[in-house]
Amino acid sequence: MIIIGEKLSVIAKRVRLAMEARDKGPIQEIAERQFREGAAIIDANIGPAEDGGEDLMQWMVTTIQEKVHAPVCLDTTNVSALEAGLKVHNNQWGKALLNSTSNDPERFPVLELAAKYNCDVIGLTVGKGGLPADAEERAGIAAEIMARAMEYGVPLENIYLDPLVLQIATTQDQAVKVIETIRMFQDLNDPPMKTVVGLSNISNGCPKALRPILNKYYFLMLAEAGLTAAIADAAEMAEAMHEKALIAEVMAGKTLDDPKKMAEIVKTVDVIMNKTLYAHSYLEM
Amino acid sequence: MAYTIPVENLSGKVQEMTLGTAGRTVAVGGGTTLPFHTFEGVKSNRPVIAIEIQDVPPADWPDEVRAQYDAVSGDTVTWAKYCQDTLKADAIALRLTGTHPDRENRSVEDAVATIKSVLDAIEVPLIILGSNHVEKDSKVLVAAAEAASGRNCVIGKAQEANYKTIVAAALAHNHKLIAMSELDINLAKQLNILITQMGFDAARILTDPMCSALGYGLEYTYSVMERIRLAALAQNDATMQPPIIGDVGMYVWKIKEVTAAEADVPAWGALAERGVAWESVTATALSIAGANMLIMRHPKAVDAVRKTLDELC
Amino acid sequence: MAMSGVEIFKLLPKTNCKKCGFPTCLAFAMKLAQRQADISACPDVSEAAKATLGEASAPPIRGIKLGLGDRAAKMGEENVMFRHEKKFVNPCVIALNVADTDDVAARAKNVASSEIDRVGQKLRVDAISIEFKSGDAAKYEAAVKAAAENAPESAVILNCSDATVVDAAVKAVAARKPMIYGVNDSNIDAMAAIAKAHGLILGLKADGIEAVMALVAKAKAAGVEDLVLDPCAKNAREIIEMNTQIRRSALKKGEKSLGYPVLSNCVREDSMVEANIAAVAVAKYASIVLVSAVERWKNLALFTLRQNIYTDPQVPMQVPQKVYKIGEPSAEAPLMITTNFSLTYFIVAGEVENSKVPSRLAVMDCEGLSVLTAWAAGKFTANKIAQFVTEWEEFKEVANKELIIPGQVAILSGALEDKLPGWKITVGPREANGLPVFLKSRAA
Ligand code: SF4
Repeated sequence: MIIIGEKLSVIAKRVRLAMEARDKGPIQEIAERQFREGAAIIDANIGPAEDGGEDLMQWMVTTIQEKVHAPVCLDTTNVSALEAGLKVHNNQWGKALLNSTSNDPERFPVLELAAKYNCDVIGLTVGKGGLPADAEERAGIAAEIMARAMEYGVPLENIYLDPLVLQIATTQDQAVKVIETIRMFQDLNDPPMKTVVGLSNISNGCPKALRPILNKYYFLMLAEAGLTAAIADAAEMAEAMHEKALIAEVMAGKTLDDPKKMAEIVKTVDVIMNKTLYAHSYLEM
Repeated sequence: MAYTIPVENLSGKVQEMTLGTAGRTVAVGGGTTLPFHTFEGVKSNRPVIAIEIQDVPPADWPDEVRAQYDAVSGDTVTWAKYCQDTLKADAIALRLTGTHPDRENRSVEDAVATIKSVLDAIEVPLIILGSNHVEKDSKVLVAAAEAASGRNCVIGKAQEANYKTIVAAALAHNHKLIAMSELDINLAKQLNILITQMGFDAARILTDPMCSALGYGLEYTYSVMERIRLAALAQNDATMQPPIIGDVGMYVWKIKEVTAAEADVPAWGALAERGVAWESVTATALSIAGANMLIMRHPKAVDAVRKTLDELC
Repeated sequence: MAMSGVEIFKLLPKTNCKKCGFPTCLAFAMKLAQRQADISACPDVSEAAKATLGEASAPPIRGIKLGLGDRAAKMGEENVMFRHEKKFVNPCVIALNVADTDDVAARAKNVASSEIDRVGQKLRVDAISIEFKSGDAAKYEAAVKAAAENAPESAVILNCSDATVVDAAVKAVAARKPMIYGVNDSNIDAMAAIAKAHGLILGLKADGIEAVMALVAKAKAAGVEDLVLDPCAKNAREIIEMNTQIRRSALKKGEKSLGYPVLSNCVREDSMVEANIAAVAVAKYASIVLVSAVERWKNLALFTLRQNIYTDPQVPMQVPQKVYKIGEPSAEAPLMITTNFSLTYFIVAGEVENSKVPSRLAVMDCEGLSVLTAWAAGKFTANKIAQFVTEWEEFKEVANKELIIPGQVAILSGALEDKLPGWKITVGPREANGLPVFLKSRAA
């Protein structure tokens, strides 16, 4: 499992301020911490970055790689910022990853970049307007992205298909469909297609205390389905790996010694599997 | 060819509650099936139609519906008796619109006086609704619950921002409670959990997932209601088993389809029928989605929905 | 049994020759799995594969076209019981039923002029059904002709259970491919022969589902595949129950003999009640909703309901891009901006209404995404907002050059001030329910 450290995101206030001030300190500190926690790739999410995105992305890539010897995931809707980032990306520790192309024509130029720079690219299986309803629709879009990638000359092994994880608090039924999709994506090619998710979105909008719980068990369930990579909180995922045995026991019908843990796992798995309706207080029921 | 009816045995139920006192009680909810599926379980009670009145004359209602009550709406008690005796309402929904700070800003005492005089005049169950002003409602509804003590009313609406005081008041005076959230089933469940965590029995809650009018988001309300019913029945989720209420009239009688004159939009046809149809089709759609109680305004729409329910129940 | 896209792919030639119109065999296979393509589009697939796939790709509810040309209404092909699971596919047909003893020409003209434009869609009564009541074959034939002539673009339904009468009348309108409705146990052989001769749909009518299934078996044996079922529900409850049972059997039990569109007769004395009963049928799985009167007010209500029920739950409903006036705003009234996701709009507009402060609400096209999602997707950004505000006419009538942006995108305020010279950018509350307090405190 490849963890792509998610913490360098413009949404986080501290990161945003550091980006605006071009203050290397916090950026490098966060990048290094994630690397220590097990992140193999560092995500650099600069948002839509309409103005000066090129400069910002270059600064991010060099700032991160100055301290962390790992590839960077270039995360923005601004295509020229992506290209600027690729120009300075040091490939010594692995290929850069572009986040992302999709079935929206606005995102096609990202494939061109992936071909030109021979880097990896995330293919988000959404089209223009409207979200995919189920695994079949996502796989259908994936097939179209794959066909387009071949046209642009991007080898299929450079693509990570992303089924788009949605918030469990508002679109609960999609959580289990994404797990199904991960299985289906792998069948789309031989060798199997690689897959990736933006994991933490599952718990977006949930109470703070719940977020790591949902993130961890969802991660383990996706890993079980064969997920290749996750953009996630590296520390949380390291913790999740420690609980892997616990969830396996519960799934196998065993009773854990710790009743609280047991209830936490059973209730969370039921919510993820869409067997009980999600509510912020579901653990208290 | 033998046909086997594809019955789905659902494990859950809908809570049944009784409103009102003495001989004029009304049962709401109940049953173990999706709406009107008599072939696979115990059906719910017939949806109850409460006719809406206000503590102030309905100057803000569109002409088509306001005119129906011109003769009686000058006095809330007269209006209430008209709905009970002439329109044969199953229940009366008294909305305390006049307490809104931007309206007449009627005081808590005024509201209490109105509630008491209406309760003295009618026998059918009363639903007491605030003015949808979060802070004012939490004062008005607390006093309302006390004023109506012993009459087994419905008090509403408790929302996430003000539920605590209203729940406490409904609890203290033994009323039923409307819990309202905004078109979000997960928040509807969460609010019901929070309310029961205060010691309020789930069997006394009515869930209001927020209504919307035909053409103005009805599909959201329709699907949230269907999903609440499915959670109650198929997942046996106790927090989703309270009966569902649809506050139809208020959401219908403000949109342009019930106010635009035929001369302005000839393609839309006669305004008189259009307004009535808009309210009655909205109410019909929501009753088949799972609403157990409907709050309505226009007597002709009430009449058409009653005739439809005669066929459905 | 339905096959997955990958299973289908294995049966295709895998040459990626593109003759099917798709870039690869895999992409084509995925479309086949979703029933959005037809296997006949691939010229190179083997006969054996075709047979396997044809069986697998047949939808559980047969798709049938009523009427002709671009006015034809597709029916059937539904996949789910509840609209939140996945889009209901083919909106039902609303059909006016007239007796041959009525003034058919006039009623047909009502059908012909029933079109209403609603949120960009042209909606209309799609079909006219002529009921045999006179007992006079010649009169019926004349009525059918009058209906067809006066509603020249509508689908025609021959509502008659006398095969000889149908046989006579059908000739006049055979080119319009009318549906024959009123097929029962005693006339099915003759009706099937007529349908076969002209390639028509048969509307099977019998008391209860079991009896309808028996008719289906006979129709199929006679070689007619395009069928519509009417189990003759006696009231609104039976419409719900029978239509639910039929759809459940077709979808969940794989019952082929019930995998056809359903007709619900909603004709009632009281037109307001008829609207309600038709509403029940629209919501509960009918593919043809038969009514006895098509007043414009009723059409508007039913078309709107049909649109609501058949909205794709995955595609967020969008409101048109526009500056909406709430109350009667003066040129100085507050001006807010949000995205065109309809739920966002309904809630924001509701809260502004609640505040009783007359305002303007600018709604920007962001493909129906909510505020934060639209921002992250690069659709609700400083550049795009600035472009909208500068180019859209309605902003010109605003005297007070202050734009209130949602609190969730406070991050945009600096860039927006740069891009909109002369404008003041104010950050509003994060959640819509903060708007009344926000607006009122400003007004005070
Ligand atoms: S026509 Fe047939 S062989 Fe050619 S790409 Fe399409 S599916 Fe493949």
